[in-house]
Amino acid sequence: MENGEEKELEQPIDDGEVMALALEAGRILLENGAEIFRVEETMHRICQYYGVKSANQFVLSNGIFVTAGDRKEQVYAKVQHIPVSDSYLERVAAVNQLSRRIVEGKYTVSEAMAELEKIKLMPEKTKYLQIMASAVGCGAFCYLFGGDIMDCMAAFISGIFLYLYVLFIKAPYMSKIVGNVGGGALVTITCHILYICGLGHHFNFIIIGSVMPLVPGVAFTNAIRDIADGDYISGSVRMLDALLIFFCIAIGVGMGLTILNAVTGGASL
Amino acid sequence: MILQLVAAIFGTIAFSILFGVASRYYLYCGLIGGAGWGVFMIASERLGPGGAAMMATMVVMFLSRLAAVYKRCPVTIFLIAGIFPLVPGAGIYWTAYYIVMDQLRLAAEMGYMAVKVAVAIVLGIVFIYELPQGLFIRLAGQSIKENKTGG
Repeated sequence: MENGEEKELEQPIDDGEVMALALEAGRILLENGAEIFRVEETMHRICQYYGVKSANQFVLSNGIFVTAGDRKEQVYAKVQHIPVSDSYLERVAAVNQLSRRIVEGKYTVSEAMAELEKIKLMPEKTKYLQIMASAVGCGAFCYLFGGDIMDCMAAFISGIFLYLYVLFIKAPYMSKIVGNVGGGALVTITCHILYICGLGHHFNFIIIGSVMPLVPGVAFTNAIRDIADGDYISGSVRMLDALLIFFCIAIGVGMGLTILNAVTGGASL
Repeated sequence: MILQLVAAIFGTIAFSILFGVASRYYLYCGLIGGAGWGVFMIASERLGPGGAAMMATMVVMFLSRLAAVYKRCPVTIFLIAGIFPLVPGAGIYWTAYYIVMDQLRLAAEMGYMAVKVAVAIVLGIVFIYELPQGLFIRLAGQSIKENKTGG
């Protein structure tokens, strides 16, 4: 086995462990919203640094395939299915940082693996913080899209309700399609109730602001990045994902408006 | 105008929290989002929403790459939050609204506008994406040798 980079490694490294490390790093990256190119590059970098020269990786938006082995190196092959989940960009940054430090020669394989375990256990933002962020985001975007201060207050409140729904009903129990249609409808009806109660002046701008937390920013941006990199399969899958969510939100809002129309006789729209 | 920028900065920071960005990057995300929205506002008077979205995306992408090299972290962190104000969320709403109101011509117009803005964002990202990494490393005042792996 050859490891002719910057640092002489004392004991021989097990190729299987290196591959497991690379795969785990790739899995964390892909799960948390990194681009395909970054996943492949990080895995390649780890394998090369620890001297597994024959390693090959093929990454799709929901799976990683790795193989290694030639006449000199032991054979290793694994396929890992990675279901689409919520992204958490802090973990992407942490794995990226780790891979840089690995290449600088600061970690042995088992130390790096322990670091990855730590990254996996990194605490998420508290639910309270997420709900407040959603509320502030809704208020701010309502203002950007043309609302006045009272509209922002309404969007702030409906942002709280929306994220309560996202965290406690949509994320644990619902599929993507039903969850987003329901979210769109919920926002529309909440905003209308607030509007009837006299909070806010522009019904439409309140809804536009409040619907923003549902918009699939990560999927949309990553889809573009992937297509720009030439990863067309993953890029189109992610773009389809984003378009589906956009479409579902629109249907949800449309359903909410239809219901309101029926209930109020179209008077308030 | 200034209130709009402040709203864009806070909105971007709020959404970077939702996307799970580490707290030490909030300020950069907010400033990038604010800059993007500022460019969008100024440019949309002359160019219309499509062209303005493209200009703004190019600025956001440029600043994101610069920040990524400067802070040595993935560009995604800044890009996703910074682009968020430009994503046509309002377009989706108006399209749904006019469909329900049976005003199909307006609905088609709004839907077309949303697609146009989305394409403009794509082009903005792709154009800046092509710029060489060395340019950003130099702008961030770092030597190319020690920063092998940006972007």
